[in-house]
Amino acid sequence: MHIVEINNLSKQFGRKIAISSLSFDIKKGETVALIGPSGAGKSTLLNILAGSIPPDTGIYLLDGKPIQQYKNRRELANKIGVIRQQFDLVPALPAIHNVLAGRLGEWGFFKSMLSLFVPQDKQAAANALQRVGLLDKMHDQTSRMSGGEQQRVAMARLLVQNPEVILADEPVASLDPARAEDILEMLTKLVAEEKQTLVMSLHSVEYAKKYFSRIVALRDGEIFFDLPTEDITKEHLTGLYSLKELSQE
Amino acid sequence: MKELLAPLKTHNRSVLTLLLLAAFIWSLFSVTWSRDLVHAGGWTTTVQIFEGLIKPDLSPEIVALAIESSWVTVVYAVTGMTVALIIAFIFGILGSGVLFSSHAVRVIAMGIFRGILATIRAIHELVWALLFVAVIGLSPYAAVFALGIPYGGILGRILADMINDVPKEPIQALRAAGASRLQCLLYGYLPLVRANMISYTMYRFECSIRSSAIMSFVGLGGLGYQIQLSLSDLNYDEVWTFLFFLIAIVVLIDAWSNSLRKRLVL
Repeated sequence: MHIVEINNLSKQFGRKIAISSLSFDIKKGETVALIGPSGAGKSTLLNILAGSIPPDTGIYLLDGKPIQQYKNRRELANKIGVIRQQFDLVPALPAIHNVLAGRLGEWGFFKSMLSLFVPQDKQAAANALQRVGLLDKMHDQTSRMSGGEQQRVAMARLLVQNPEVILADEPVASLDPARAEDILEMLTKLVAEEKQTLVMSLHSVEYAKKYFSRIVALRDGEIFFDLPTEDITKEHLTGLYSLKELSQE
Repeated sequence: MKELLAPLKTHNRSVLTLLLLAAFIWSLFSVTWSRDLVHAGGWTTTVQIFEGLIKPDLSPEIVALAIESSWVTVVYAVTGMTVALIIAFIFGILGSGVLFSSHAVRVIAMGIFRGILATIRAIHELVWALLFVAVIGLSPYAAVFALGIPYGGILGRILADMINDVPKEPIQALRAAGASRLQCLLYGYLPLVRANMISYTMYRFECSIRSSAIMSFVGLGGLGYQIQLSLSDLNYDEVWTFLFFLIAIVVLIDAWSNSLRKRLVL
């Protein structure tokens, strides 16, 4: 069963082609790493998959239904969750409210307002924070946390939101290697436990090979290769990152 | 042509400075430098004012009057700021446009609500005071509204600007988690602007104390009214007593706002 099916997807920004006729499917429970040089279209692809920008042409079916038909934000939030670099939390709120923001899709206005004073679904937040190892920091101001801790709060928010697909746009780009591995390990473990699907863009091929079952490489908005991790050779990667324009001249 | 003008351009500013300086010196010649220009009794008055500064009138009646007037001034300022905050909150949020999903509606709403805020703050609180005194007479309501309305215009505009300037990543993340625009306001915009808004409001509160004192010149009671009465009686020692109370209030509010800011994160 394919949770994500895309066919002939294209997107242009002005005259720059970000993505040109991409087609691939993602099965439920797969972990896919998107790699490729800067400007290859990884972020654009993730934004299209998240439904935050519309594609120019092509078809994108999310769980068998065209993305345009997800009119309701809440419905979409049940299907897809997003995690980016650490800057997407609200620093002035305590961790618990950043985590409970994952529930906003289900809550009405008054319940969400009440929750700022008397946290609702506190148990869910506590469970999520415990799974990322931050239960003791539940009431700490998010701005006082380190980059790695903030990223774990963002993961706890995803746990509370509990979408079927998790899209991660370079979630470890601003962390040191030790923290980065820590976050990747935790995220892939949680995704496996929840039987979710994960699509993550990464700069590090090493991490991609270590934590993902499938690697999709993009170059100039096109698929350069799309292979199970074990089939990837050195030649594939040299080709991907070589400076083609220079070598041709 | 361009090459010819280039050296002129580099000297543009010094030429302008010289011209303005010349104009200033020339203007000095048009002043009639007679003895009438300076207040003849000025020196005596200066001495009297300084005497008042060193020996303010600390008699029980004057101090009691100063305490009472300070209370009135503070009450006007606090109540006025409350009105201002209500106005700022409603119009500022609407004027920031973040609650509207359609682009056209947002542009129109921003125009209307920011326009209202601009109009009410364009009129100085003293003018509002005179207007309200004319309409509802010398009642405390006149003072409260005269303060609250223009200050609401100022605070509302700042709130709208702050909301528009918040980093977009946290808001996008909230939207991706399924939050509606009102929920984004609660969990995103308002917490993100809270610290700055509180410190700016405290600063404006300080200003409103001064405004409240000045406004009582129109006869609304408070420190300014007492200062005016003492001034017309040439009792500078009393003037200084009231001024010291005014300074004390402002210093106290400054200390309060500093301790408040220290506790705020960000």
